[in-house]
Parts: sequence; structure tokens; C-alpha cells
Amino acid sequence: MPPARARPVNLVLVIALLGALIAVPVVQLARTAFASGWSGARAAAGSRQAVLALEHTMLVSVLVTVSAVICGGALALVVERRPRRSRTLLRAAVISPLLIPEFVLGFSWSQAYGPSGTLDRAAGITVPGLLGPTGVVLVLTAHAIPLAYLVTAAGLATRAEPDLELAARASGASARTVLRTVTLPLLRPALTAAAALVFVTSTNSFAVPQVLGEPAGFATMSTLIFNDLNLSASPDVFNQLAVVALEQTTLVLAAILVFGLTLHGAATESVRGPTTAGGRAAVGADGHVASRITTALIGLYVLIATVVPLLVLIGVALTRGPGLAPIPANWTTSNFAEAFSGPTWVGLRHSLILAALAAVIVVVMCLPTVLGTGRRSRTALGAGVLMGYAVPGSALAVGVLIAYGSPLEGSALIILIAYLAKLWAVGHRPLSAGVDRLVPEHAMAARASGAGPLTAVGSVVLPPLRAALLTGAGLVFVLAVQEVTMSGILYGPGSETFAAVILNQQDLGSDGATAALALTMTVPLLVIGLVLGAGRRRPRSPEAVA
Amino acid sequence: MSPSVTALQCRDVTVGHAGVPALDGLSLTVGAGELLAVLGSSGSGKTTLLHTIAGFIPPLAGEIWLADRLVAGGRRTVPPEHRSVGVVFQHYALWPHMSVLDTVAYPLRRSGGTRGQARSDAAELLGDLHIGHLAGRRPSELSGGEQQRVALARALARHPAVYLFDEPTAHLDAPLRSVVLDEVADQRKRQGTAALYATHDAAEALALADRVAVLDHGRLVQLGTPTDVYERPASLAVARLAGPASVLAAEPGSSDRAPRLVRPDWVGLDRVSLGDGGAWEARVIAVAFHGPHTDYRLGTEAGELLAREPGPARFSAGERVRCSLTRSWPLTDRARIPDASQPAADEPKLA
Repeated sequence: MPPARARPVNLVLVIALLGALIAVPVVQLARTAFASGWSGARAAAGSRQAVLALEHTMLVSVLVTVSAVICGGALALVVERRPRRSRTLLRAAVISPLLIPEFVLGFSWSQAYGPSGTLDRAAGITVPGLLGPTGVVLVLTAHAIPLAYLVTAAGLATRAEPDLELAARASGASARTVLRTVTLPLLRPALTAAAALVFVTSTNSFAVPQVLGEPAGFATMSTLIFNDLNLSASPDVFNQLAVVALEQTTLVLAAILVFGLTLHGAATESVRGPTTAGGRAAVGADGHVASRITTALIGLYVLIATVVPLLVLIGVALTRGPGLAPIPANWTTSNFAEAFSGPTWVGLRHSLILAALAAVIVVVMCLPTVLGTGRRSRTALGAGVLMGYAVPGSALAVGVLIAYGSPLEGSALIILIAYLAKLWAVGHRPLSAGVDRLVPEHAMAARASGAGPLTAVGSVVLPPLRAALLTGAGLVFVLAVQEVTMSGILYGPGSETFAAVILNQQDLGSDGATAALALTMTVPLLVIGLVLGAGRRRPRSPEAVA
Repeated sequence: MSPSVTALQCRDVTVGHAGVPALDGLSLTVGAGELLAVLGSSGSGKTTLLHTIAGFIPPLAGEIWLADRLVAGGRRTVPPEHRSVGVVFQHYALWPHMSVLDTVAYPLRRSGGTRGQARSDAAELLGDLHIGHLAGRRPSELSGGEQQRVALARALARHPAVYLFDEPTAHLDAPLRSVVLDEVADQRKRQGTAALYATHDAAEALALADRVAVLDHGRLVQLGTPTDVYERPASLAVARLAGPASVLAAEPGSSDRAPRLVRPDWVGLDRVSLGDGGAWEARVIAVAFHGPHTDYRLGTEAGELLAREPGPARFSAGERVRCSLTRSWPLTDRARIPDASQPAADEPKLA
């Protein structure tokens, strides 16, 4: 592979895909929003429920961003400095809420801590305001802390942190001054990136506000679009929805722009040179007490955020009727039987097929994006691909519906189109990072050793990317199976997905059956997540051998 | 001990995890104004020693005294910011988010100066080091040598009693190195503070230091003047660390059968035709001209020998020469002496 020689065919292909999957739906969305002119759009945006939804979305996003970045960042600072052995377990504990689908997390919290939930009946414990804004913010924060943690930890890993901090100590700074003058300023780009990711994720989130906010009449933009779309088929309502969807898209893109500009200012202070491998004990004498307290706090967080809700979910799924104690005498499998009586199997099959198709097609789409392009065009295309992920699922679904609805409405194909647009970035990121790490000389050496261009790609370029390809495909599959928003909007008779079935089941109010389905959704994904997590650590050794 | 004599004292310092000490019962004393080179290969514990003295690593056992103050030992561990040390890190550890001026002002700020005062003092110090023009730059805009000087300025700004240099020249090319080394010597003389200078480069250690401490696997294996370490090494390992060396199975023509260490400058060469002067014959295996001097690899009946003479080559490969030794040093650790038929380390450079 001659270094960075862009191939026009690849570029044209990728740009055409970007246009069809992302630009056309967004443009169609905008056209519909302005169908009755500027004034009509303004009237729709100024309607009471639209204004409320915007306010609620902003409130939730800002609160979740602030609290998740503070908690996730602090956890990263504490956990990532631990000695390797205790670090691995703590890291897995902090990340665990991420392995549970957002919908399942919201539902299981409501079953555990909600009014007349399991803890309420057993001990009179409820989380006040769980159904409503407080609950939405709490659960979204629990879900977002791992995201903020991961981004901050990655930022910590790329900087030569220990020596820079030791240098400050040796210059006479106390531990607290080092945090203020060296550690936090150096982490600013990572914290900004974490804030951007959390803000976008919580603005786009649908399942948690739907499960916890909607029953209390607390609507965000995502839930407003979803529910009104399901309630009404009138073109006027549809145009108003398009306005809200466009507003939401604009909000997310504007946030990305603002965070991106902040990040750009911070990123120009690039670091050069120092690459002392971390792992040296940070300045000692934090003492066992402090480290035990943080371990206890992390344990408490995992207990409250994931362990108790999951246990309650299992209990509800296995217990005969609502309100009964989850004891062996009341155990039954009838919830599962009820849950799988309707179109559930069909939905499950649709979801698995759609997810597998999406995973394969996304990987195929990623290959021309990353392989036949130079580094600069790869970065630009990556930004385009990322837009698809950033556009809120509810808005993207409405856009896809407008753009491709007339021939495809109600078919599974339209859901697949939305998945591809949304999840392209998920496959693209690991692969692009893998390609960035490739040494161009390797392919040159293969060519100089007598390999043709295709042989060189097959024998030298692709093998080191295998882990990245698998990671990308696995993530796309997992997220597609979990996806609720877009398939909930786009499915038609005969093309319902598993997630749509669960949403309907929950809407019908059958807690036992919903819990059974939620459990069915979570366990395999938890397993896949753990396998992916384990596989991620492995690729280092084969790379060293190759 | 009075503080005017001793700047730093380590007593039986042991560091590391139980069972695998990174430093093992190390004791040494550095006098005021003295520069002690810590010589050792990578992994020998140089950085660990410096970081223990600075207070980044608490010792498992032993005591560390800075001047007449106990800073580590027993139950007491003084944190780094309260020890009077200036550290120059191996990779400089310059903060990427601070300008050169703020970096150098940082220790001045921490010792209680106001922002303005710290900055003006820092600017003055940068001027003294002839890098005043770098004040507004960030580390990413500096060359390796400039980064080095800024790191040095930051340590100087601390006005410490002891400087700790962790291989500060390891990443510099030769001409830049000598500039930096001169600067270190000059600063130290002017301020009269002691310094520990960790390096794996024997030439640097011998040229720079008042005394040399040789570390091997966390143990202090020799402590002496540069001449001591070069001419009378405590072991073969020290001999190899301290400079080019050959080992002969025995001194040719002598009745003593003990292995001898021979430095290349201890060998005298003559033409065979000049007759017998009490010397013995050897065959030239390879010749390498280095500019100021020429290295010869010689085959003798007692093993291979490296010889060095000033000036260009006088002999060519294959020729027979007459050798004599001005001196040699008996090696005591017989167990470590390699097979005499194997070429010794530090062969002449033939490339």
C-alpha cells in the first residue's frame, strides 16, 4: 500500500453512502420541518409541549453531564492509579452499568426502587421522585459514569502522568496543588471529550425518559417525538414533530461544535516525547484507609446501580404475580411463557437477523473508508460517519421515514437503513484506530518481498486489524439488538423487533413478562460484552508474534 | 556528622517489594559540593535510588538524611515537597500546558513567592542560562537541548541542597551533551550544592564526578574515585561498566596464573623486528581507526586483547606485533570470568 494515496473510487463510494444514509434523511427532515414555511416552524417550536420538551432535555443533559463527568473523572483518577491487580476488578465494576441496555436499566430501577417496587414492599425503601426528572437524571447518570470513566482513563493513559506529577512534587507542590496545577489542566481535553460524549448520549437517550419520565408526564424531545408519532397520523402533527426532531438534531450538533472548539483549543498543546510507561506507584502514603473507602464507594455504586436492580429484575421475572414476595414458593416460569406467547419469537428473530446484517454490512462499509484513503481524508470521512451516530435516534428515524418511507414503510429494510446510518461510526472507530497504528513500511516490505498489492493487504495489512474488525462488528451487533428508539418508530406490522415487543409489553403494564423479556435481552449481551472485553486484552500477544 | 560536611546520607536503604528488592541495603554519603555519579546498567536501580531520595518511593528499611535532617526512616517520611531536592527527570517531565516561564516560576511560587515575583525571578534565571528567549514557548515547541535546559532551570529555581540528575543526557547527541555537562558543573560550583548524577555512560561518569558509585542489581558494588573504579574495579562487572576491558587468562610471561584485567591503554605495541624487550608476541586480528586513536584486536595465547594507541593505525590485520603491559589488575571474582577463548567485550569498532 503506497502511503496515503487516496483512491478516488473509494472516496466517491464513501461520500455517496454518507449522503444516502445521513445527509438525505437530515435534509428531508429539515424540508418537512419547514413545509409550512418559516412561521409554521416557529409556531411549532414555540408550542408549549415543544418548549417544555426542549427545557426538560436541556435540564436532564446538563445535570447528567455535570454529575457523570465529575464522578467518572474522579473514579478514573482513583482507580487508574491503583496497582494493576486491584485495578482490573475495580475497572470492570465501574464499567458494568454500560453492559446493561438503557431500557433494562430504567425498567429494573423502577421495579427495584419505584413506588410499590420490591424494596418498597420489603423494607419501605423508595427513591423519591424516581418516576420523573429525578429518576431520569439518576439512571442516566449511572449509565453515563462508565462512559466518562473510560474517556478519562484513556486520557490518563496517553499522558506521561507520573513523571509530570512527580516533577511538581519535587518543585515543592503538595498533593492537592499538584491536582490543581498539573493533573486537572492536563486532563482538560479528556474531560471535555467525556462531557461531549455524555451530553450527546443523554440528549439522544430515549428508553430511560420513556420508562421513568413518561408515566409522570415528564417528556423529553425523544419521548415527545416517539409518543406523538405513535398517537397521531395527521400530517400537521407530523410536521410539528419534524420541527422538534430538527431542533434536537441542531442542539446535539451545536453541542458537538462547542465541545469540539474547546477541545481543539486544548489539543493544540500537544505533548511530545516523554513515554515513561505508567505503572509506577504514584506518590505513596495515600494510606490504606483512603483506598479502602474508595473501594467501598465503588462497591456501593455498583450495588445500587446494577446489582440490586438486576437481582430485582430476576425476582420479578420469576415471581408469579405482582406484589408477591420473590421467594421460591412463588416461583414460576409462566412469565416467560406469557412473554414468548405473542409475536416475541418473530421479533427476536428479526432483531438477530437485523443486527447480524448490520454488523456485516457496517464492516464492509468501513473497509473502503479506512483502507483506500489517506490519513487526512480518513479523518474527514470519520467526522462525517460520526455525524450519523450523533444525530438523535428519534430524529434520524423520522428523517429516514420521510426520505425512504414511501416505498419501504413498515418493512425491515427501512430499520436496517437507520441502523447502518447510526452504527457506522461504531464499527468505524476501532477500525480507524487500528489503521492509524499500522506501520506503512510493513506493506512496503511485503511488496518489496514480492507480494502483489492484494496479497500484501491480505497477508500484512488485514491480519493485525482482525481484532479491530471483530470488535467493531461485535459492538454493532450488541447495540443493534439493544436498539429501541429507531426500531420502535420504524417497525410495521410483520417487521417488529424484539425491542419494540418489549416496549409494547411494558406499555401494556405486564411487569412479570416485561422483566422476563428484559432479562432475555440482557444476559446474552452481558456475555458478549464480557467476551469482547476479554478478547480486547488478548490481541497484544499475537501482534507481538506477527 | 555536621551538616557542613554531609549533604546526603543513605543508611542501609532497602526499597521494593518484599522478596525482590530494587535497592538492597544501600549506604552512601555525599559531601557538600560533591558530585557523585551513580553508574549502572538499565535496571540496576539508579532511578529507584534517586526517586527514593526525592521522596517518591518510601524505603522498606533504612534511613535517608538530607543535610542533618532525617527525611525517611523509621516511621517518618517527609513528602517530596518538603525535601530540599531539585530533580532533573530522565525525560525532562516538562508540563505540556505551561510556558517555559511558568514552568520555571512553578517552584518559586510553591516556596511562597507571589505570581509576579516568581515570574520575574524565573525570567532572571532563564537569562542566566541564556534561554530567556524561550520564556513564552511550550515544551512541544522546544528542541531536546532546550527542553533539557528548561528542566535544569526548574531544578535550579528550587535552590535545593541536593540535585538529582536522572540520566539527563541520555537522549542528547554528543556535542549538545558536553554543553549541558559544562553547565551542570558550572552551576554546581557556583551554588555549592551536592549532586547525584545517574548515568549508564562510563565516560560521562568518570569525567564529571568527584566519586563514582557503581550499582548492580540494586546493590552498591563499588564506591570510589573515578581512577579507583577505572583502574581497580571491584569485579569484572564493574570493570566492564567502567570502560573498555579485556580479560587475559593469565599475564603472559608471568608465573602467576590468575586472570588479569587489561585496559586498552595499558598495552604497548612494537614491531616484532625491534627485538625482544621482555615482551611477548600477538597477532593483529582487526584494526579500527577512530580518529584520535586506533583500536587493535589482538590474539594472544592467553586470550583476546584490546589495545589502543593514539594516532592512525601503525599495524594492519594479520601482522604479528610485540606487546607489553604497563599494568594489569587481578580479578578476584573467578566465577564470573568467561572462557578466555571468547572475545572480550568492547571489541574494536570495525564498522
